[in-house]
Amino acid sequence: MITTVTLNPAIDREYFVDKNEVMKNQFIYDDEHLKVYPGGKGLISAINFKSLGYHDVQNIGFVGGKQGLFFEKMVQKHDIISNYIYTESEIRNNVKIIGREPATYTQYNDYTFKVEKEEVDELIVRFRRSIAESDCILMSGSVPEGVDFDIYQRLIKIAKKQGKHVFLQASGEALKLALESEPDIVTPYFKHHKTILDMEMNDKKDYIRAGKKMQEMGAKRVMVPFHCDRLLFDRNGDVYQLSPKGYCIINWLGASDAYNTAYLDYAFKTDNFDFLEANLRGGAAALWVAENKEIYLENRKDYNSYFDRLSINKLEV
Amino acid sequence: MSSVKDYMVRTMNSITPDDSIRKAIIIMYRSEQSVLPVVDHQNLFVGTIYSNNILKNIIPESFGFLDSSRLFYEVNEAVENLKYVKDEKVEKYMARNRDAVKENSDMKKIADIMLNNKESLLFVINDQGYLRGFIERSNLLHYLLDETEGDAE
Repeated sequence: MITTVTLNPAIDREYFVDKNEVMKNQFIYDDEHLKVYPGGKGLISAINFKSLGYHDVQNIGFVGGKQGLFFEKMVQKHDIISNYIYTESEIRNNVKIIGREPATYTQYNDYTFKVEKEEVDELIVRFRRSIAESDCILMSGSVPEGVDFDIYQRLIKIAKKQGKHVFLQASGEALKLALESEPDIVTPYFKHHKTILDMEMNDKKDYIRAGKKMQEMGAKRVMVPFHCDRLLFDRNGDVYQLSPKGYCIINWLGASDAYNTAYLDYAFKTDNFDFLEANLRGGAAALWVAENKEIYLENRKDYNSYFDRLSINKLEV
Repeated sequence: MSSVKDYMVRTMNSITPDDSIRKAIIIMYRSEQSVLPVVDHQNLFVGTIYSNNILKNIIPESFGFLDSSRLFYEVNEAVENLKYVKDEKVEKYMARNRDAVKENSDMKKIADIMLNNKESLLFVINDQGYLRGFIERSNLLHYLLDETEGDAE
C-alpha cells in the first residue's frame, strides 16, 4: 500500500475560451473546453502511482461539505482508496480561465476552506491506524486554515515511530517545523514568496545554503528546485545539479508530482538504491509532464526515453 | 470473471470500537453513509455499526411503528436518550459480524450473498483482513447490467 497525504485538496476547474474578456458572457458547449478534476499535490502522485500499476494506493486528508463528496467520487474514479476526514466547511474550488487569442491565463484561487480542531484530531487518529500497511508515506502540499503548522511534524513523528519512510514536499512554516521530525526526503516548494526557511532565494549560493540548512535541521536527503534544474543533497554531504537539456515547457501543473512519483517508484523497485538514479527518473518524469499537456503520468515508457536529456554534475561546495 | 474489485467503492471511511457514538453519527451524516465499518487500530475489519442499531437504542419500543400522535413524544424521548448514548463507545452498539467479502471474490457470489442475506451493503477486505471499501446493491446492479449488455453483444 502506498499512502499519500493531501491536507488542502481542491476541485480544479479549467475553462478554455477563445478570448478572455472582462464584462463578456462566455458560453462553453464542448466538454473538451471544460475540465474538472481533483487537485492536490499528494493526490496527483497517488493517481500517478495507479497509472504505474500499483494496486493499493490511498490518499489521506480532509474533504469538506457536499463538494467534498463530489471530490471523493472523482478520486475513487481513479481507483484510489479515499481516506478522508469530512469537514463541516466546503472544499475549495480553483477556477482557471485559459484564453487562446491572445494567450491568457487567469486564475481564481479559493482559500475559504477551514478545518476545525476536532477534525484535525480525527485526522491524526485516522492517519495512525491507516499507515499500518505502508512502508513509505508521501506528504505533499499546503496546509488549510485551522490546521497548525506543526501538522507535518506530528504526522512524520507518528510515521517514524512505526518505522516508515517519509517523503515530504512542503513550504514555509510547515516545512520548517517538519524538519525536526527527520523526514527521509525533503523537497521544498515556493508558494507566495521565493523563500526557504525564511531565507531569500536569489542566486545559487542561497539555494545551496538552504539545502544544507535543511539537512542540518533533520532532513536526510534534499532536492531543491532551482529554476528548471534541481539541486540534490545526498546524505553524505555531496551536492549535485540535475539539468534538463533542450526543453520546451508548456505545462508546470503536475511536474513536481511526477518527479516525486518516479523517484519513489524507482526506490520501491530497486534493491540497490542510488540517489542520482532516483533523481534521473524523477527529472525525466517531470520533463515529460512539462512538455506535454498531461497532468498525470501514464506509464514508465513515456518518460524512460527522456533520461538522455538530463545531466547530473557534482558541485564543489 | 468479474470480481468485487471491478465494481467496489474504495474507501477507508471507518470508525474504531473505542470511538464514541457521537463521532459515528457525525461521520455517517457527513459521508452520507448509514452503515460504517468498524476497524481495529491497525485498520483490520472487526465489525459494522448500523444507524438502525443506534436508532433502535434511543427509540427502543416503537421504532418503525411511529404513529403521528406519538411522534412528538418519541422524538423528544430519542433526544433525551441520545444525550446518554452519544458518549458511549461504538463497541457497545456494533455488530461483530465478519460478513465482509474479499476484493478478489467473484461477483456472482456477491449477488448470492446480497440477495439471500438481505444485506444492502457489504464491506470489502483484502486477504489479510484489511479494510478496502464496500460494495452495495447499486454496484451489484451495475455488474448485472454489464453482464446483460455483454450477453446482448
